[in-house]
Amino acid sequence: MENNLSNLIVGLMMAVFGLIGLFLVAGAADDEMYIFGLALTAFAVLFDFGLIKHHYDERDRIRAAAREHGHV
Amino acid sequence: MSDLTMAVRPVVYNDAVVKKFVIASMFWGIVAFLVGVYIAAELAWPSLNLGLSFINFGRLRPVHTSAAIFAFGGSALIGTSFYVVQRTCRARLFGGEALANFVFWGYQFFIVMAALSYVIGFSQSREYAEPEWHLDLWLTVVWVSYLLIFMGTLLKRSEPHIYVANWFYLAFIITIAMLHIVNNLALPISMYSAKSYSLFSGVQDALVQWWYGHNAVGFFLTAGFLGMMYYFIPKAAGRPVYSYRLSIVHFWTLIFLYIWAGPHHLHWTALPDWTQTLGMAFSIMLWMPSWGGMINGIMTLSGAWHKLRDDPILRFLIVSLSFYGMSTFEGPVMSVREVNALSHYTDWTIGHVHSGALGWVAFITFGAMYYLVPVLWGRKGLYSVRLVAWHYWVATLGIVLYIVSMWVAGIMEGLMWRAYDKFGFLQYSFVESVVAIHPFFIIRMLGGVCFLAGGLIMVYNLIRTVTSETTEAPREALAIPAVSPTLGVAGA
Repeated sequence: MENNLSNLIVGLMMAVFGLIGLFLVAGAADDEMYIFGLALTAFAVLFDFGLIKHHYDERDRIRAAAREHGHV
Repeated sequence: MSDLTMAVRPVVYNDAVVKKFVIASMFWGIVAFLVGVYIAAELAWPSLNLGLSFINFGRLRPVHTSAAIFAFGGSALIGTSFYVVQRTCRARLFGGEALANFVFWGYQFFIVMAALSYVIGFSQSREYAEPEWHLDLWLTVVWVSYLLIFMGTLLKRSEPHIYVANWFYLAFIITIAMLHIVNNLALPISMYSAKSYSLFSGVQDALVQWWYGHNAVGFFLTAGFLGMMYYFIPKAAGRPVYSYRLSIVHFWTLIFLYIWAGPHHLHWTALPDWTQTLGMAFSIMLWMPSWGGMINGIMTLSGAWHKLRDDPILRFLIVSLSFYGMSTFEGPVMSVREVNALSHYTDWTIGHVHSGALGWVAFITFGAMYYLVPVLWGRKGLYSVRLVAWHYWVATLGIVLYIVSMWVAGIMEGLMWRAYDKFGFLQYSFVESVVAIHPFFIIRMLGGVCFLAGGLIMVYNLIRTVTSETTEAPREALAIPAVSPTLGVAGA
């Protein structure tokens, strides 16, 4: 329960950071802000993909464990 | 199953994030030492910057300091604090895995982006706070998340008592948050530009900068690592803390006194005299709590001194306290205005900082890492204790070369800069003092090479500890915790 809520909140927060990164890239006045914006977006996307992967990995692990114990 | 094991519900710890921080700390440690050696070589032979702007001393120096303090030290602090708070509270980290992972990856992202910004030429020019405003904001988000996890874990603890190590860790987290926010108050020239200007100006700006700077030493490099010390020394020694009362007394005195000491960085400047004196007086008073911590840590070994002879991990931990005692003696001496007149702007200061950074911070971290890696990865012990001993001696030799050469160079510089001839003119030009200290710059670099070599020995030893068949724990020992391989259980 705590993990699901945490995944949701952090996932949404990262989505917002990803968008902020895109805005920064779009209006960047110098190289530093351009690089930072791009990196922030890439970081946010990768982090959210990681969360999604982890979620399904966990579900697979629980299903496999249930199958092993003959519950399915 | 016995009644006892039925009564105690096992807590599944989040050790996956601790492992990540341990790996990151070791990686950044090598980066910090390597860059340190390179810029030390640049100081001795300036042409080593190869005429390239992004590897000149001015840009690589903050890469070195940030990698050492925030990347190597910070990763070790956050990782060990997560390990310690779970064990001493018998509670899993608050906030779930995603939040803990955000703190890890968010912190690493900050480090990489900060280093990148330095080499491409962006800096606030504030010591130990070089990242520009957008990176400061990012770090604030990460740090608040870290605070949330730590506080949340304390609040949901199943132990009634909050162990003293957590007091130090919490003081470190809260105070660094406050210092970071105030010191970095700035106005960006535009939301889309990395350039900003400090909200403060003139001597107020300098004071805020050194209020932050000295407390980065006090709360990041001291309070945090004292938290580490209070858990890992008793664990490694197999003895309780010498005096729990002393730990509480020196905690409160340290916290109260440190915050006032910053003005000693601004002796003989436009800062009002009374403020300089205040900083000096509080710095001298800091002797007491600093040595209280040192004595408490060293005396924890009471009755088990023989362990120092054949346990190099414990030697790292205890010698780190000796260096802590030495640098916290030297610091107050240097804060005295008359001594500062000689030492300020010289390499004595650099030697002082490194006796604390290498001798105290790095050594206590090495000791903690040598203790943690076999425990976290479920190994029966380290790959080679002999290599730990080699690391210890090579690193100690490196520190000695470093600090002795900087003492000699610094005092010589100070004396040359203040020497007058019979006509009242300065006796030496600045460049003559640079020529005079050149041999000591080379010795300092050799000290750094030794320290780097020691770090590489450690990394090899730790990698082999995790991967070698010789360190595999017996099967029956692994069978007890029936949990995911990335998670620890209570009592581990």
